Amino acid sequence: IMTSFEDADTEETVTCLRMTVYHPGQLESGIFQSIRFYNREKLSSSEVVKFGRNSNVCHYTFQDKQVSRVQFSLQLFKKLNSPVLSFEIKNMSKKIDLMVDSSKLGYLNKMDLPYKCMVRFGEYQFLMEKEEGESLEVFETQFIFSPISLLQENNWPPHRPIPEYGSYSSCSTQSSSPTEMDENES
Amino acid sequence: MCPDNKPGSERQTQDSLVAGFPSGRLWPMEKPFTVLRVSLYHPTLGPAAFTSIPPRLQHDINPLLIGRGQGAHLRLQLPNLSRRHLSLEPYLEAGSTLLAFCLKSLSRKGCVCVNGLKLTYLEQVPLSTVNKISFSNVQMVVHLEKGTSLEAFVCHFHLSPSPLIYRPEAEETDDWESIPQEQPPLGSGEQTPGHVGFLHGPPQTWDSLLQPSPGGGTEI
Repeated sequence: IMTSFEDADTEETVTCLRMTVYHPGQLESGIFQSIRFYNREKLSSSEVVKFGRNSNVCHYTFQDKQVSRVQFSLQLFKKLNSPVLSFEIKNMSKKIDLMVDSSKLGYLNKMDLPYKCMVRFGEYQFLMEKEEGESLEVFETQFIFSPISLLQENNWPPHRPIPEYGSYSSCSTQSSSPTEMDENES
Repeated sequence: MCPDNKPGSERQTQDSLVAGFPSGRLWPMEKPFTVLRVSLYHPTLGPAAFTSIPPRLQHDINPLLIGRGQGAHLRLQLPNLSRRHLSLEPYLEAGSTLLAFCLKSLSRKGCVCVNGLKLTYLEQVPLSTVNKISFSNVQMVVHLEKGTSLEAFVCHFHLSPSPLIYRPEAEETDDWESIPQEQPPLGSGEQTPGHVGFLHGPPQTWDSLLQPSPGGGTEI
């Protein structure tokens, strides 16, 4: 056994897209019943992954009539002359805009998915986080279930660290390092 | 796939969309399809490489797969072509209502050259109005005529007996290859496809790619 371990090909790390999801009606409605939470699924790097209500077309489905048959899609691509794999998200819904942080995507609009971002449509919240990997052949997805809303009142967008003294202010220009004061200024 | 439209025009009839005329008559609102006019050439196999290519292909707004495999929407019977070699993906640019296309290389072993730019696996580039594309000895010139339909697009295929691309391999590009391309008028129906001849020298504009070449192109 030790010989096969030592002789085996070196494994490459795999790009992983972690999706933490929340919907206010998630407990009563069973909208996420088709999702295998915490399971890491390997997919081909050339696959276009669709999310929506139609299980014949979509890889990940939501049991909710307010979700479009195909809501949005994700695919990997490689930026020119870069070894890094990036995700691209595309809105496939004619009726519902897709929000990626503060960017609004209409039907067939697409954009690069930031390595960490909030994707929203309707009342659905997806916190997307990408872990970089070496492999160009496959990537992984993992769904995480969030019992609480992912938006600002909880932890999105991430706040700056609150200083030990004083109070947090979004308009604050206070520097993070102590400033010297002349004793006559106190 | 959308149903065929009336002959003589590339339009999609949408019964659910009607326009009221002052006379009180209602006519269905027809949206012209975006048309990709595709010219194909193979240096050794000639038209025999493209026997399974129909003269016209209508496709929905999902990516169009080109390759050797059964899952490809456009199958080319070439042994050195990957089963999924490249895709043409329709999408909308922000603020635009006309389909744009993104070409993505899906071949792990081969590459695709688009307007002199070499794409390896998973690299992609948006298409321009006129595009010189080469892969696995295939030369393909794609001319994009934009239409307003967002349901589907149409490809018209022309098999060329003569070479289409002056420099099929990705090399250092000359200045003339970066001349900006003009947008064509909206597709208003089928037009006679211009024969894409061989380039005899640096063109002044991309329009010269569409000038009819009497007797076919001349190989350099």
